Amino acid sequence: MRFNELPLHVVQLGLKLGASDVACLGVHERRRMVRFANNEVTVTQTWNSNLLSVLLSRERRVLVSGTEDISHRGVDQSVRRLIEASKAAAPSESYTPLPRGPFKYQETSGSYDPKLAEMSSELVEHAKTAIDHALYAGAKRVAGVMICSTTELLLATSGDVEASHRGTSVETSVRAFVSDEASGQGLSISRNAAGFRADLAGERAAEIAKLAVNPVEIESGRYNVVLGPSMFANLVNDAVRAASAFSVDAGLSFFKGMLGRRVGPPGFTLTDDGVSSEGVASRPFDDEGVPTGRTAIVDDGVLKSYLHNSSTARKFGVESTGNAGWIAPVPWNAVVSQGMLREEELFEVMGDGLYLTNNWYTRFQDRANGDFSTICRDGAFKVKGGRIGQPVKGVRVSDNMLRIFGAIKAASKERHWIRWWEVSIPTLAPSVWVKDLGITRSTQ
Amino acid sequence: MGSAVNLALKMGCEYAEARVQRDFGETAIMKNGNLEVVAYVRQKGLGIRVIKNGALGFASTNRLDKREVTRLVQSAVSMASASVSTLRKPVSLAPSSAEESDWTVREKTRISSVSLEQRLEVLQDVEKALTEPKVQVRLPGRMLVLTNWDSEKTYLNSEGSRIHSLVPRVSFYYMLTALEGPGETAQRFNQFGGSGGWELVKAWNLPSLASEEATVLGRVLREAKPPPRDEIDIVLGSEVVGIICHESCGHPSEADRVLGREAAQAGESFMKPEMLGARLGSEVVTIVDDPTLPGSYGYYLYDDEGVRAGRRELIRKGLLNTFLHNRETAAALGVESNGAARAMAYNREPIIRMGNTYMLPGDHSLEELIEDISNGVYIKSFMEWNIDDRRFNERYVGLEAYAIRGGELGEMVRNPIVEMTTTGLFSSVDAASKNLDFNAALCGKGDPEQDAPVWTGGPEIRLRNVKLGGLPS
Repeated sequence: MRFNELPLHVVQLGLKLGASDVACLGVHERRRMVRFANNEVTVTQTWNSNLLSVLLSRERRVLVSGTEDISHRGVDQSVRRLIEASKAAAPSESYTPLPRGPFKYQETSGSYDPKLAEMSSELVEHAKTAIDHALYAGAKRVAGVMICSTTELLLATSGDVEASHRGTSVETSVRAFVSDEASGQGLSISRNAAGFRADLAGERAAEIAKLAVNPVEIESGRYNVVLGPSMFANLVNDAVRAASAFSVDAGLSFFKGMLGRRVGPPGFTLTDDGVSSEGVASRPFDDEGVPTGRTAIVDDGVLKSYLHNSSTARKFGVESTGNAGWIAPVPWNAVVSQGMLREEELFEVMGDGLYLTNNWYTRFQDRANGDFSTICRDGAFKVKGGRIGQPVKGVRVSDNMLRIFGAIKAASKERHWIRWWEVSIPTLAPSVWVKDLGITRSTQ
Repeated sequence: MGSAVNLALKMGCEYAEARVQRDFGETAIMKNGNLEVVAYVRQKGLGIRVIKNGALGFASTNRLDKREVTRLVQSAVSMASASVSTLRKPVSLAPSSAEESDWTVREKTRISSVSLEQRLEVLQDVEKALTEPKVQVRLPGRMLVLTNWDSEKTYLNSEGSRIHSLVPRVSFYYMLTALEGPGETAQRFNQFGGSGGWELVKAWNLPSLASEEATVLGRVLREAKPPPRDEIDIVLGSEVVGIICHESCGHPSEADRVLGREAAQAGESFMKPEMLGARLGSEVVTIVDDPTLPGSYGYYLYDDEGVRAGRRELIRKGLLNTFLHNRETAAALGVESNGAARAMAYNREPIIRMGNTYMLPGDHSLEELIEDISNGVYIKSFMEWNIDDRRFNERYVGLEAYAIRGGELGEMVRNPIVEMTTTGLFSSVDAASKNLDFNAALCGKGDPEQDAPVWTGGPEIRLRNVKLGGLPS
């Protein structure tokens, strides 16, 4: 049996064996990666994988499986195992019948580029381009990754859904160093070959690194801060995860109990966008077959909606937002509204403070109240009189998510797509000026 | 597998290895008393790694027919060949003897002999232990996750190594959210894990432990006072010492970071090859990584390059002693690999990872560490932590913590923050207890990311003359 025939076969077999609901998502992915460091390629990697994910419910018991054994026998065994397990599992309050189709789907334009589907060793040339441009722009050492993916989704459900989608993406994260403590990051993310700019990613990384030479330490305290798009996207990733209704229900969300309340300044809008033509995670349907769309999580500063699959939607008494994962709703692409100021004007209106370009290791003391810290990497700078000045180091943001979003004073008109190792949800983010951000450093 | 390696050699590769890996996992998730789902994951496939003209290539597939395997080898070789022109220095591997082995972790009570109902009872028993009358606090958020996972690998390389292994693992974690009054919360995450069978789960005594920790959350909310702001002495519990050993010693000791290979993702290291022998801490500080601890979560006997694993002293009596190596970094620094290459699935390249990282105990009792402190804090557990990408500025925020006054434990303190440099922290250690305890964790690294099971551990330790971190009051 061919791979594209398996999802429907799984659904039919599951129903025949007594399941009340079955959904099967087949994912065929071809992925190529070139990693580089110290101005040379360190490893090339290629993947060719076929994964079948199955959701099966029987007598209100809910089970899921993921298998890469796609032989006819292996697939049948996988379904029979779920049926057997359903006899031992307890009924789940979360059980909800799968949404009934058929649905109409809107294919996003430009989601598939045959040039990317064929790309292999050309990815090495892109790596060379990024390295060369970063070195030419003043970097001493360059590291990074180039990733090119072709993904085909095949969905069948007992809710009368049969759907497929294929998409491509190419992305790079480049990190340039002028010294061990002076680094910068540049990114490029695209669904098609034409929109991919490894050269600009390399140049951007080097430009930040050059400014970051000889950093100094600063005292702990509250500062006015401009967060660059990469750093703001990192925080936005935690916000959209907190908007998943599963997180809310599990006590893992600082948005719990906040619907209808102000969580950001007027004009601030955060949308989950499953149909963005530029978002590399866009797709026409979710894992339950519900059409994806745009869900305003925060609209004009007010928390409007959580992200739902059919199960959490039933529990919260609303409609699915088309964000199913099997168990927990998942965000697709996060989109932050653009602001009113050009990036340089953000610095001018802020006057004095800090400019933080990037971060990693965002960790919570308490996800329910939003207390967390995150530590900066790559260029971080003092801002004096609206101009970027002396680089700083050892800077940690120690604050609260709700307080930070509430303290956004302005955002830039310019927005950038951000996705890299530390920001897994593709995010279209501006730079933002945050008032009185908590900054701490090592005591000794 | 053998044909894949032979084909790579025929295609001009100077080195080739193949690994067929099968992973089978079962997970049950209970949220707020409701069994959300029982999930099964079955992965099986082939990963191959080649070196062609000094360039390293990796490729994987979950289709194991001859045609696909041939295509896989061609893909790995052609991609590697394309990158040769970028190389400043060809990749080479440190010498390693050809090994033949078949090793297995034994389950005293096989997971497969325990019915799903019995396994789910564990979640229900923990849930019953978390009721408000028992723990004296409301717990509106309760996530309980029980997992068992078998990993079977068959490895061979072009130098004659052939190794088969089977490691069953079990793990359990919970995330508890306690609520006091209209909206004040405190959370506790705790993870248990080991290699072995159902006997591990029984030994963890989960209902009792979860109940105790939930009760502590209530006390944190009701009783804890702000921590002192002046210079104090600190006693850190073994859970905190374990995460410090992992983050502040284990990660910066990874030679791929030291040499810059992880720069764009997991970062680099403040440690440099020329720093071997340099003082990083007091004589009390000896930190080892040992994958061979029986029953440990990070257990393995051979790494995924076929190198025999063993105990590594990363810091010995305060001096940087060795890095964690695979064969590539070992060759670059002119030493032998110490067997730290791990791959978490068939479709992941082996990279340098920790196994079980911990500080060696000293000769004090916990009471002796405390009785010598006039003004201080004892931090038994933590929640938030992070560290910069050179592994030099770190932060660990306490959860269960107590004031120390006149050599005795006093009232609870809320969220004391250890925010120090690595050398500042290790240099402040003046004593360690004779206790040794471990915690389980999944350590993330690599691109694509690989979550490696590890233990972190150590004794209680005492830090002298330290200022707690955080924002000025």
